[in-house]
Amino acid sequence: MQVTLKSFANIKDVIGQSTKCIELAPGAKLSDLFTYLNREYGEKFNRQVTDQISGKLVPFLILINEKTFRSTTDMETLLNEGDTVTIMIPFDGG
Amino acid sequence: MDGNNFIYKGYIGKMLRINLTNGSWSDVPLTNELAEKYIGGAGMAARILYDELKPGIDPLSPDNKVIFLTGPVEGTMIPTSCRIGCYAKSPLTNSFFHSSAGGHFGPELKFAGYDGIIFEGRSKKPVYLFIDNGLVELRDAAHLWGLDSNTTQHRMFEELGSDEIQIASIGPAGEKLVRFACIICGSRALGRGGLGAVLGSKNVKAVAVRGHHSVDVPDIRKIKMFLEDLYARFSANPSTAEILPRYGTPVLVNANNTLGLFGYHNWQDEYNPESERLSGETMRKKIVKRDKSCYACPARCGKFSIVESVSVEGCCVEGPEYEDIFSLGSMCGHSDIEIVAAAERLCDDIGLDAIEAGVAIAFAMECYQRKLLTDKQTDGMQLDFGRSDLIIPMIKKIGMREGYLGDVLAEGVKRASEKIGKGSGQFAMQNKGLTYPGHSARGMPGFALGYATGPRGASHHDGRPTGERTGLVQRDTIEGKGEYTARINHLNILTDSMIVCHLPEAIWGPLDITDTLVRCINTTTGMDLNLENARLTAERIWNLIRAFGVREGYRREHDTLAPRFMEEPIKTGPSKDMVISREMLDYMLDQYYEFRGWDKKTGIPTREKLQELGLTDIADDLDAYR
Repeated sequence: MQVTLKSFANIKDVIGQSTKCIELAPGAKLSDLFTYLNREYGEKFNRQVTDQISGKLVPFLILINEKTFRSTTDMETLLNEGDTVTIMIPFDGG
Repeated sequence: MDGNNFIYKGYIGKMLRINLTNGSWSDVPLTNELAEKYIGGAGMAARILYDELKPGIDPLSPDNKVIFLTGPVEGTMIPTSCRIGCYAKSPLTNSFFHSSAGGHFGPELKFAGYDGIIFEGRSKKPVYLFIDNGLVELRDAAHLWGLDSNTTQHRMFEELGSDEIQIASIGPAGEKLVRFACIICGSRALGRGGLGAVLGSKNVKAVAVRGHHSVDVPDIRKIKMFLEDLYARFSANPSTAEILPRYGTPVLVNANNTLGLFGYHNWQDEYNPESERLSGETMRKKIVKRDKSCYACPARCGKFSIVESVSVEGCCVEGPEYEDIFSLGSMCGHSDIEIVAAAERLCDDIGLDAIEAGVAIAFAMECYQRKLLTDKQTDGMQLDFGRSDLIIPMIKKIGMREGYLGDVLAEGVKRASEKIGKGSGQFAMQNKGLTYPGHSARGMPGFALGYATGPRGASHHDGRPTGERTGLVQRDTIEGKGEYTARINHLNILTDSMIVCHLPEAIWGPLDITDTLVRCINTTTGMDLNLENARLTAERIWNLIRAFGVREGYRREHDTLAPRFMEEPIKTGPSKDMVISREMLDYMLDQYYEFRGWDKKTGIPTREKLQELGLTDIADDLDAYR
């Protein structure tokens, strides 16, 4: 199935474009999308979303279409054909 | 005073007290009790000002005092130990206010031989203070009066024969008592609360510091081991290692806008269709020339920018920061990043808080939109949202108090709405006199509670948006937000007392005080704090600041939000329909007061709570206000 990935700032820099269509297996979850991105873009992507000491995803929000999900609790959420997934930048401060 | 027996490292061990009325000064030794109970920075200053200021004084009178103060970590290699804090009763909020800035002034003050400076009284003529490696001199500043902050610094470098001096200076806005005048330290701002006006009211133009004192720590090997671990964590975290260095705080423009949480048109909406033009990415591509770092900070989030467009040619600025882009750009409905950068530079030069300035202009634009201002009152300017060409002229008018509108807006949005009347208070986006910065109240309930209860008013550094914005806690619920907000208050006030920067909050917290902060304090001072008594210390400081507000008349009814945030839901985007109704706010306030042990009816800390925190004298004081 195909989903559309939207990104900005550092994550967009790694992926090279703000919108990208990605082919995932039917029944894929959010975690599968991140596995794909880690495989495709390696350490460069990993450093944007993962604490390099603990190896765990840091907290950030993810939008599926316009609904909000959390990297800390919702990575097993099922994706559907045609979903648009926006990875919010994992940024503290401001 | 037990100053001769001061036992803690990290501190220099003394403050400088300047009596401006008679031009005298003296050293004030720090006491062990002051350090143990209030750490430094905001905590220590709150205690001094609570004890020394009578309730009800006019913030712009000689009765007010201004304190510049560091914390025990400044001048060490603890990451972000770069801060200088400034403290006074605010002319905007009429209560205790603390503002801090990065850069290099804080460490240099300690190298010059003092932890802090207390200014009291009023000088008959303009002066500046120079502390040169322990030598104190109060100098004539008549020739600097009227100069912008940047020119002031350069003149002083020439006069003092070196540019290896750190200077904090006010601009013309501080001299003209604009209620949100700031103090510029190098290219960083002690931005909020109008502390530049308090300094201006005392005829103090600037403070210059230079020195070679060392900041001692108890055990150099121990702190080095701790620092290795701490710097490794900064390098491992995406926020401090990747995002802040690359884009700085402006990365939030696209992030908040994507969530539908980006103030637009004076918060009439929270989605800006042109946010990309104001984004950190556009800014980096268009105007950023290099990254800048504060003292001892590996995150280098500062962005040095040059504007090359014809209209504002040659303008260089450290920034703009996210808050400037929000206030001077999106709130006013335009998307020209170069105008924002130039406007921020102008705010720094004139000495205005860029958040207040931008929000004041946006407020005037909405008044104009609703036909509440006449052409005569605007000096013929058609103040439509989106008029980027009017931002710079408006800043000049406000900073110099020119014309009806410039003078009215120089009083801050709250007082301006009272003067303009005609229902404009409904969209005066402020709390307790301080305008809301660029983080949504409607879309983050816990953070809204932080705004409502903030002793400084609508500050984004009393509560914090981070927990809800990153999904660490659930965003779309009011349950549990009382305790959530109170714990974040404590985290903030402890960091503001140490003093370290809030931006690496993933490392410090981000939801509560952690052992990392305790180790920062212990390895620098030799104190033996544990997590429990560090939290108690923070709670003590928070209650002390609340007591200051109680003496000035603040009660539960002042812990509120702008009507717009309680009555008009967000219109579009992923946060559509979110609003904090009065009922929701009341529910969270009850939770908050209950967790804090404060009286739910009045919001006053109970005697029992104050005694538990070792503040029996404050409990006695507050009996008169119950």
